[in-house]
Amino acid sequence: MLLPGEGNKMSFDLDEGFRQTILRMAGGEVQTCIQCGTCSASCPTAHLMNPSIRKLIKLCLEGKRDEALMNDTIWLCTSCLLCTVRCPRGIRPKAVVSACKDLAEKEGIKTKDAAYEQIFSKQIREYGRISELPLTGEFLLVYPQGMVQSMEMGLELMPKGKLGLGVEKIQGRDEVKRIMEELGK
Amino acid sequence: MPIGVYVCHCGLNIAGVLDMEELRTFAERLPDVVVARDLQFSCSDIGQEQIQKDIAELKLDRVVVAACSPRLHEPTFRRAISKAGLNPYMLEMANIREQCSWVHMDQPAMATQKAKDLIRMAVAKAALLSPLEPESIPVSKDVLVVGGGVAGIAAALDLADAGLHVFLVERRPTIGGYMALLTDVFPTNDCSICVLGPKMSEVFNHPNIALITYAEILGIEGSVGNFTVTGHRRARYVDEKLCKGCINECSAVCPVEVPSEYDFGIGKRKAIFVPYPQAVPLVACVDPKACIGCARCVEACPAKAVRLDQEAETFKLNVGAIVVATGWQPFDAARKEEFGFGRYKDVVTTLQMERMLNASGPTKGEVVRPSTGQIARSIAFLQCVGSRDATVGNIYCSRICCMASLKNAQLIKEKYPDTDVTIYYIDIRAAGEGYEEFYVRAQKLGVNFVRARVSRIDQVDGDIYLIFEDTQSCEVKRIRYDMAVLSIGLEPDQNADVLGNLLGLSRRPDRFFEIAHPKMRPVEAHIDGVFIAGCASGPKEIPLSIAQGSAAAAKAIKLLHGGELELEPTSAYVDPDLCVRCKLCVDVCPQKAISVKSPAYVDEAACKGCGSCAAACPTDAIKMRLFSDKQIMAQVRAATEEKREFPLIVAFLCNWCSYGAADLAGTSRIQYPTNARNIRVMCSARVDPSFVLEALRRGADGVLIAGCRLGECHYRDGNYQALQRVNVLKEVLGKIGIDPGRVKIVWCAASEGEIYAKELREFIDELKAMGPIGSELKGVKKT
Repeated sequence: MLLPGEGNKMSFDLDEGFRQTILRMAGGEVQTCIQCGTCSASCPTAHLMNPSIRKLIKLCLEGKRDEALMNDTIWLCTSCLLCTVRCPRGIRPKAVVSACKDLAEKEGIKTKDAAYEQIFSKQIREYGRISELPLTGEFLLVYPQGMVQSMEMGLELMPKGKLGLGVEKIQGRDEVKRIMEELGK
Repeated sequence: MPIGVYVCHCGLNIAGVLDMEELRTFAERLPDVVVARDLQFSCSDIGQEQIQKDIAELKLDRVVVAACSPRLHEPTFRRAISKAGLNPYMLEMANIREQCSWVHMDQPAMATQKAKDLIRMAVAKAALLSPLEPESIPVSKDVLVVGGGVAGIAAALDLADAGLHVFLVERRPTIGGYMALLTDVFPTNDCSICVLGPKMSEVFNHPNIALITYAEILGIEGSVGNFTVTGHRRARYVDEKLCKGCINECSAVCPVEVPSEYDFGIGKRKAIFVPYPQAVPLVACVDPKACIGCARCVEACPAKAVRLDQEAETFKLNVGAIVVATGWQPFDAARKEEFGFGRYKDVVTTLQMERMLNASGPTKGEVVRPSTGQIARSIAFLQCVGSRDATVGNIYCSRICCMASLKNAQLIKEKYPDTDVTIYYIDIRAAGEGYEEFYVRAQKLGVNFVRARVSRIDQVDGDIYLIFEDTQSCEVKRIRYDMAVLSIGLEPDQNADVLGNLLGLSRRPDRFFEIAHPKMRPVEAHIDGVFIAGCASGPKEIPLSIAQGSAAAAKAIKLLHGGELELEPTSAYVDPDLCVRCKLCVDVCPQKAISVKSPAYVDEAACKGCGSCAAACPTDAIKMRLFSDKQIMAQVRAATEEKREFPLIVAFLCNWCSYGAADLAGTSRIQYPTNARNIRVMCSARVDPSFVLEALRRGADGVLIAGCRLGECHYRDGNYQALQRVNVLKEVLGKIGIDPGRVKIVWCAASEGEIYAKELREFIDELKAMGPIGSELKGVKKT
């Protein structure tokens, strides 16, 4: 039975603050979600995701902060926006994903995909592009379990000349840095 | 003008708080008052007899009763004085119970003071009353029914059976609407045309029904009781009187074949055709777009009925009421590009499936894959296509598609038990008598249910694949089907736009026609004498459409059966000498009752007396017969004659909601301060800015205007107009140095006595903070 004053909560472990933060960042219309799954079924990376985008929205609405932020789903989103175009309720599921990413980053939550994205964007910021070997190397320091898979792929790529060994840089790195800083504001 | 004032004790309800003797002697000294009495129960026979006796002996010509709310006993006292020979409109009531003694129980002295003001206001208004005669106008007992679907048919038959003459106008060459094209119908799976067909022929043969098919309405003038309707009948190039409906003779020789709109594109028809074998009237029709003019049908017709030179005819009808039963149109499935309708042959709509399942349809009842012509072995139903979908602008549920798919799934399962039938749904909505049982029946027949909204249909090598997330197993899947059926929603029929505009019908945000009240008046339009039935006011299943058709008929019969219509004399009228033809009144009138030809003219049969036009008129050329400018102004002046409390508030309350809320605060004994002097108006839109300015000029510290909640106005949008006027007025006040906060507009429903009291308390606090009227001007230097 609910205690007085808890009438609008869905369960006892609901983190109302988290739910409200998501609604503020991603739009109040998220509350109108009917869990139809159009977003998940529209998503090109849905097969890699667990939870699905639909379920991520449910987790956010239920205030299940840990489950919503500590997963790979939010880092697998390619921002193609098909979910947002097709949502019959006019919700922007992509905005929910972005909100979760922001919060996860702010709270320093580490997952392998979050780490990968951070290394990826750090390289872009510094060199203007990514270089395969340094990227893989740095990532494997965070996620050593991926060693075997990476080496297998590396061995396949190497003879074809697809694996650069050094760090490659582009011209106009200052410009890229400035853009990244501008975006980071 | 001798006035009699009667102050009612109402037992102790009033006398327990107010000083009755003080009120009586106060009233006695007011101008024109020749007698003031206090009565134990003024509404009792004894009380009424006393009033009647005084009218006779003292030759009173107007009466003021200070008692309960006029919403309770105004009719009683009107009857009483009219029995004594006075005009019933020579009565004014002062509400000293609900809005005084009951809400100021612990401050009797201040309450008595307020009651004095209320009586003074009532006497001042009474002095300006004039006798009004309810006018009767003769009305036409004929009724126009627009739309020959099942709702229109139900309305027409009930009206005709009751003895009224009906003109049933239908846009298509046959009546029957969509129902005539369906196969079996839920929840009993009886054959649709078998139950509708007899009704269609009854319409055709009824002596009181004139059937006008293949016709459009082009003009409507007049108002309740006397509408003049013009329209035209399109040429069908066949003489209706001669055609025997044998059809085979003419269409057999016709060389042109086009897709049939009556099969939704999956069947074919000739250029000369009968829509379907049960069409009413059973008369052929030539499609001028398809016909090549070879005239072979002219020769083939044994009755010599084909007339390729036929022309459209115009018609003119005089009717007393109009039933709008214009129905719906299917959602265009091609708008949902991701489902490939129109590109993938095996993706069909519900209506196409209905025609396939129909034994007299293009496939003779076989469910075949359009791409191969083979019997379909796996069929998916996709729910909510074009409904509950913000991306196409249709947020609403179309209400019938769940049941239609359950029904079609059952029919397929019964005919082909081995076929895999799966329904993809967001929620199954089976709310209706026998509907949940119908759902269970589908489950028992082996229909599969997947809770998913399909996101896309792909076609690969001629096969179609559905992509969706099964939201219960949390898996994203891709599954092949022989056929997919899109459960398309219902949209308002665009062809009804002309009629809607002619009548001035308003539309809800979902674009269907709006009814006068979403609960209490389900088949009435905002316009008097106009009724709406069936899907014209939103998606509905067959039983409800029939119920609404009959309800609309009953309303029209009630309106017209007497042959004349008594008009409430509360309407507006125009002083033609003052009118400057600015047409502001035309824009604000919710009833479309005003026209400006030379000076403005108010159709008093259509006017409902809200008074917005009178408030809007810049030259005061529009006057109200009841609640006139002069009467309200007199109340304002009487309210501000003696200022014995601070802050003094003049409050304008709309009759329907906020006056009711103030009454309810009384019956609920909600206590609040005595500062407000209430003036009843029909609508918040009646409040002319000049009333507000006069109140402030004469020393009121604040003016409160209370209306129905936004969106709930009894005159559609009067409260929005009031809001607009108040906003402009506040700006003006600000410019002349008066605190704009002295004018406040609030909304409360008749059920919200507590909110009325709360708003009033808050306003009093705000005014206390501002100080008495004019205090803000002290700082302004004289120039």
